[in-house]
Amino acid sequence: MNIKKFRQIRTAIIIFVGIIVFLAVSLNSYLLAAIGVFTGMLFLSLVRAKTKIVIDERERTIREKAANLTYAIFAPTIGIGSFLLLFPSYSNLSVFSKGEFVYLESLGMIFAYLTFFLIVLYSLSYFFLNKKYSGGS
Amino acid sequence: MKNKLKVYRAIHDLTQEELALKIGVSRQTVIAIESNKYLPSLGLAFRISKLFKVTIEDIFLYNDKEDHEN
Repeated sequence: MNIKKFRQIRTAIIIFVGIIVFLAVSLNSYLLAAIGVFTGMLFLSLVRAKTKIVIDERERTIREKAANLTYAIFAPTIGIGSFLLLFPSYSNLSVFSKGEFVYLESLGMIFAYLTFFLIVLYSLSYFFLNKKYSGGS
Repeated sequence: MKNKLKVYRAIHDLTQEELALKIGVSRQTVIAIESNKYLPSLGLAFRISKLFKVTIEDIFLYNDKEDHEN
């Protein structure tokens, strides 16, 4: 199976899963949605296994650059976002007094931990990759 | 960095698809190399030169002034 055929089948599977999920939401059946998504994922992995997809060095370079760009955008965005969400809770402004915007504070905390996790993960990956590709001494 | 990949491909009467198959990359990569939008790795450059039975320098032309900036 070539890449063109794979893309056609993938589109068909995505449409099928979309319809199933739409029906499941309409019928208020979470089980049906879960089964639909699971079946779609299973079919997709089976089709992917049968396809000869060439992932060459250009593709890898593109992925690396895309990942780098995603990190460069995502980390500061959620970092600044968490600060902006947490700031009102710790300020003395009466409109943001504690208790009124608790959900914002919770969201800010989640964003802050997410930023922390992202930076730690990046640092660890950098450390191990740097070790792997260094001279060895 | 400029290259003569298109010329060598024409000499050996190969299509982009055939060349891509022979060197183990996608057709898009061959197109990108030919149009100087992507610099191949050393390994790929060796594979290309080995296929055409020439040296890397015969295919890839290094421009000291231009390439120093990259």
